[in-house]
Amino acid sequence: MRNRFDEQLELLNTEMIRMGAMCEEAIAIASTALVEGDTKTAAKIIPLDKEIDQKERDIENLCVKLLLQQQPVARDLRQISAALKMITDMERIGDQAEDIAEIVTTLEGRMVPEHSHIREMAKAAMKMVTDSVDAYVKHDIDLAEQVIAYDDVVDEYFEYVKSGLIEMIAKNPTDGEYALDLLMIAKYFERIGDHATNIAEWVLYSITGLHKGETV
Amino acid sequence: MTKRIFQSILLSSLVMLLISLAISVGCLYYHFEKIQEEQLDSELALAASAVEESGVGFLERVENDALRLTLVDADGTVLYDTAADAESMTNHADREEIQEAFSTGKGYSSRYSSTLTEKTIYRAALLGDGRALRASYGRTTIFSLLVGTAPWIFLAAALAAGLSWLLAKRLSERIITPLNQVDLDNPLENDAYEELSPLLTKIHRQHEQIDAQLLQLRRKTDEFEHITASMEEGLVLLDAKGKILSINPAAVALFDVKGKPAGVDFLAIKRSHQMNHATACALKSGHASIREERKGRFYQFDVSRIESAGKIMGLVILAFDVSEKESAERIRREFSANVSHELKIPLTSIIASADLIENNLVKPEDMARFIGHIKREASHLLTLIEDIIRLSQLDEGIEMLAEAVDLGAVANEAVEQLLDVADKNNIMIDLHTEHCVLQGVPRLLYEIVYNLVENAIKYNLPNGKVDVSVERVKDGVELKVCDTGVGIPIKHQKRVFERFYRVDESHSKQSGGTGLGLSIVKHAASYFDADIALQSGEGKGTTITVTFPA
Repeated sequence: MRNRFDEQLELLNTEMIRMGAMCEEAIAIASTALVEGDTKTAAKIIPLDKEIDQKERDIENLCVKLLLQQQPVARDLRQISAALKMITDMERIGDQAEDIAEIVTTLEGRMVPEHSHIREMAKAAMKMVTDSVDAYVKHDIDLAEQVIAYDDVVDEYFEYVKSGLIEMIAKNPTDGEYALDLLMIAKYFERIGDHATNIAEWVLYSITGLHKGETV
Repeated sequence: MTKRIFQSILLSSLVMLLISLAISVGCLYYHFEKIQEEQLDSELALAASAVEESGVGFLERVENDALRLTLVDADGTVLYDTAADAESMTNHADREEIQEAFSTGKGYSSRYSSTLTEKTIYRAALLGDGRALRASYGRTTIFSLLVGTAPWIFLAAALAAGLSWLLAKRLSERIITPLNQVDLDNPLENDAYEELSPLLTKIHRQHEQIDAQLLQLRRKTDEFEHITASMEEGLVLLDAKGKILSINPAAVALFDVKGKPAGVDFLAIKRSHQMNHATACALKSGHASIREERKGRFYQFDVSRIESAGKIMGLVILAFDVSEKESAERIRREFSANVSHELKIPLTSIIASADLIENNLVKPEDMARFIGHIKREASHLLTLIEDIIRLSQLDEGIEMLAEAVDLGAVANEAVEQLLDVADKNNIMIDLHTEHCVLQGVPRLLYEIVYNLVENAIKYNLPNGKVDVSVERVKDGVELKVCDTGVGIPIKHQKRVFERFYRVDESHSKQSGGTGLGLSIVKHAASYFDADIALQSGEGKGTTITVTFPA
């Protein structure tokens, strides 16, 4: 009985890693498309996002099955409930990456300026997603805490990008639409950072039993 | 064990208890009944003779509570009864024992009371006057006897249970202790029970077998690990579920694995979506291959399915560095793009000039200039093609005849060829040569010196100077070409040996360079295993030293 349960928990773990890898791929595609202004790359995200949605449903089913059939307690219960919360955030990351790619397709191949903060921001958001998945894979408390702290960096980048775009509109008012598109993209990256933070918080919960420092 | 022994002891003792109880109770009961019946017979005989002698008066005097005497008339009417009022009793003519007494002189019968707890034995005898006398005795039945002794039986059963438990415990302990003390590591050194020896011998034999197999297995894994450890390629073996069975040091370094990776899911160390796809694809179709950049180098990952008897056993992932291949491919792509571009420019120029001449658009006095232009461009094209041919010959590694060559003499010859060009640019060439004989292809050596000196002249400043020296050094022979020219900025120094790479496009055009000179030098030098050292800086002149091994 326990064996079967362990097997299913293991499966849950690998499926979570797979979904994490998909999210990383999605955000990587979105930022490459953005930086290179490549609409062909951007189009690749649509099937991937569908795959992410499917994975979310699969993992959800698995979790519910585990909860109902095995009635887990303590650590196992935490792992499953944390997984249920995490997949929602992962799925949102996938959606937002798709949103970014969608905006990129409307930019008609226009490349983001070489030294704009939005490139750095994309890198930072990507790092957060990668690190949060890494923290899950390695059960690394320190890394999860680093991810949570790093959210401030992404938020800061958002402020830089915003002020940069204001300047851009002031200099060249005809570029207003482009600036607004970039602002949307920056906001999406900022949201992706928030979701990565959530994932890191649930990683902490599944290890320590504390969510945001409180028992749940 | 204790439980089993306890159960069987208890069961057998209970069965024994019941059997002996039944036998003894049955026997005793039967025996006492016999005695009682005999007693009843004799008492009836006594009473009968007494009644015959002294009439009913005897019956009235009888004082025995256990014995009941009844006098019955010939028609069955009860005349007297020692235990009840005769008047109230019914006619006894239908009673079995009375009927029997009237017909045979003696009657027997026994009846159970309604509750079955008492049995009454009747004996009747016919008196001389035609009346019958009946004697009866009440006694407890075997059933009520059993009911009465039940508490004692239960007590005995409980005692038996307690005793059996104690016995069972002691017994099983005594049986088990030697079994527990059996040393299974050395099965043959035990003498617990003789009955165990076949089992112990078998265990011993299996021990030996397992040890031998383990040794063999360990040897095989050691062998495998030795082989894979010295492999430069990363090798990972996965089971059908994607767990790592084996990973060699190269793969550990490549995937940055920390801790012990055996038994861990491969996803935990490498989880890229692309790799996921590759492993899934390999599981389905047998093979997949991806290329990925890791730590600045390109790796090709070949994923193959391992099958045994139609069953999927796992996957093998082989990772090898294809950076060189990748960059060679890039260079080749760039080279063909460059070649076509470089060939096109002079041709376009030639065609344009020819067009103008054909359409009589060139004034007769300009004709010479145009034809000169066509000639210059055509000869540039020719140099270019010659350079490309030379390069491709070097690329192909065509066998060339090696012989003893004097590098000094070759340098003299090359410089002599270039004197005209040097004069045109007003550049002085200073040549110091020693007699240094090398084994090699004279043509290649000539190319090296010629191209280096030509570059030194072309990229020199007006009235500049070129120093060419050939001398013996400790490690071999050194060719040094030093100019006072424009120099090569540091950021370009790495790339000047690439084909068609030019530091300054416009200057090259002007001087008629093809951008292939230094590539030819590099290629030819590599044929001799020679080292090329470049020392330069912007506006500081350039020194190129080629050291040929002795």
